[in-house]
Amino acid sequence: MTQSPTLSRRSASSAPAQLRKSKQRGADARAGYTFLLPWLLGFIALTVGPMISSLYLSFTNYNLFEPPKWIGLDNYTSLFQDERFLQSVGVTVSYVVFGTPLKLAAALAVAMLLNSKRRGQGFYRSAFYAPSLIGASVSIAIVWKAMFGDSGPVDQGLSFFGINLGGWVGNPAMTMPMFILLTVWQFGAPMVIFLAGLKQIPNDLYEAASMDGAGPVRKFFNITWPMLSPVIFFNLLMETIHAFQIFASAYIISNGDGGPAGSTLFYTLYLYLRGFSDFRMGYASAMAWLLVIVVGIITLIFFRTSKSWVHYSGDAK
Amino acid sequence: MINRRHFLTTVAVGTASAAALAACGTGSSTSAGETGTAEKPVTINYTWWGNDDRAERTRKAIALFESKNPDIKVNGNFTDFPSYWQKRATEAAGGGLPDVMQWDLSYLRDYGQRNQLLDLGTVKINTDAFEKSLLPSGQIKGKTYGIPTSTNAFAVYYDPAKLASLGVAEPTGNWTYKDFNAFLTEVGTKSGGALFGSTDYTGVWWMFNIWLRQNNIEAFTEDGKLGFSKDDLKKWWNTTAGLRGTPAIISEERVTQLKPKSPLGSNVTVSEVTWDNFMAGYLGDSGAKELKLVPVPSDDPDNLGLFLKPSMLMVASAKTKYKDAAARFIDFMVNDPEVGQIFKTSRGVPASKTQRDGTTFEGTDKLVVDYEKSIEKYLKDAPEPPIVGFGTLEASFNRIASELNYGKVDINGAADAWFKEAEDLIKQNA
Repeated sequence: MTQSPTLSRRSASSAPAQLRKSKQRGADARAGYTFLLPWLLGFIALTVGPMISSLYLSFTNYNLFEPPKWIGLDNYTSLFQDERFLQSVGVTVSYVVFGTPLKLAAALAVAMLLNSKRRGQGFYRSAFYAPSLIGASVSIAIVWKAMFGDSGPVDQGLSFFGINLGGWVGNPAMTMPMFILLTVWQFGAPMVIFLAGLKQIPNDLYEAASMDGAGPVRKFFNITWPMLSPVIFFNLLMETIHAFQIFASAYIISNGDGGPAGSTLFYTLYLYLRGFSDFRMGYASAMAWLLVIVVGIITLIFFRTSKSWVHYSGDAK
Repeated sequence: MINRRHFLTTVAVGTASAAALAACGTGSSTSAGETGTAEKPVTINYTWWGNDDRAERTRKAIALFESKNPDIKVNGNFTDFPSYWQKRATEAAGGGLPDVMQWDLSYLRDYGQRNQLLDLGTVKINTDAFEKSLLPSGQIKGKTYGIPTSTNAFAVYYDPAKLASLGVAEPTGNWTYKDFNAFLTEVGTKSGGALFGSTDYTGVWWMFNIWLRQNNIEAFTEDGKLGFSKDDLKKWWNTTAGLRGTPAIISEERVTQLKPKSPLGSNVTVSEVTWDNFMAGYLGDSGAKELKLVPVPSDDPDNLGLFLKPSMLMVASAKTKYKDAAARFIDFMVNDPEVGQIFKTSRGVPASKTQRDGTTFEGTDKLVVDYEKSIEKYLKDAPEPPIVGFGTLEASFNRIASELNYGKVDINGAADAWFKEAEDLIKQNA
């Protein structure tokens, strides 16, 4: 892109000017930190503090009421002998692995449809985004539960086509598809980001490709995908992390117990049950930290592998 | 175009502002003063579990209390039973339990022993009208943490109208488990699967406890260990092994679908084994004209294993600022005859004689009172507050029994799983 303008200015300035500048910069920094303070205080008091105390608690036996007892790594080691824990890992991983790519595919597909110039695009964009606005709320989980219940609209609609699955909510084999549908349906947030990314791709690239006789598939893989790859990377990362944290909808739909037959026992739900139903805060803290570590490792892997497929326009590649 | 530095900064700023937004929105309010006046009343928070029917009755009772005590306002709030305990745990951790709470025997030790509940011996609540044998169930080590509102006993409910339409004879209540199973099977067969006999009663934790009593097995030893063996549990779950998957017992899928309503309340089953004070709730949910009660089955006709339990207790938070107001509200809820008139038997049969005598029981309420009278000769002492973690044991029992009905585990696997969780929990709380 363009050359940094500060570089040339700095080389022209004299020594006293330099001093003035650094004073100025100190004042700027102070002002900056002052403005940052409300957020910083909140971050330390509400995020860093609790995180540190939960790290400590993860090495203790703590029932909320009595002082924590230090037990070393016991919580972490007993995790791996806990069948319910292993079940919750299985449930969560299958949700992340199937739900996230499908959601991103839906988001990208709709974003590409909405990227063309057509009348009423504003309306369509709002309409497609709406499920994400209300999607995370408790009310939608309740509606979803009713829709997929016995003789709910989904059951009735499918039996019209001769498919008799019964209610999905009570069938352990159908709850995971239901949760994946729920997350795919809430593609609005990544869609908006994809849309913004698509608008950044210069139209002349497509024009040039058309001149050379490239079809829509070729254009997608050779222009859209590489040009959009930073945005895809960002969405993939954020959605994966979000998927690991699924809680509210699982809590509502399963009546807070991870049922039927443990099929909706998501990691965070089990963590919550351990902490607040069984009063085992130390154990729950250990679970929380394990999740942080695992998500951290996955993020790291994403960043490492991103070099081979994510293209930034400033890069030499 | 998308430039790396620009892109990453944008992401960072976006994430930061999201975190800042998430950090907003906490706060608490406090109000000063121990007692209120009619002009400036104090507000106490009261919470209970239950359905709409109980909510309506409680609202009436609160309105009555406020009209009689203009210096106190009561702010009521309710949820269903499972999330009730998760909420209380969260509040206790933050030191913000409501001033007055409806309480269950299963959780009395968890909170009482850990100094979360007010010693009600230190405030003025009249317990003269209570049976002396009932009060110890609200006490731990000589301190009173809960006052029973009422008593309940286990029973088999059945819907006589549905039985008549199926041509199934009404049970007499003088029956063995084999008789009971035959009854359930008859219902399922005659209805052609349109109606089920009941839910799998071996999945009911309290029924298991009653069965243990019928077999003279202590559920828990003096030092808080399990008093029964894995084989006992397997034997119990085997009682209905031949019924699972048949129309005698409603499938677990349907039970899950119907939640939060019960199968009996949804008119899908004709009977249910549970506490006798659920009458009002079942009638309200199902719209049935009448439900009848008979004693639970037993293979020993002289030992039904039944007992009167405080169906619920009233407790106060140890941290309440309004001890006096809380005590007056509890006293009112357990003793006032007009409260008895409002609740009838929906909380159980009133424990206080003042309240019981001041209440007229008619129709189905009379059935509940008569039922408790009819089993008097079989009753054993009210149980003491059970061990710490009893509520958790119940939850895990219900969950594993449900997995058993889903066919996810067999009886051996289910018994192993429950024992592992139970022993782990008892070790934790030791």
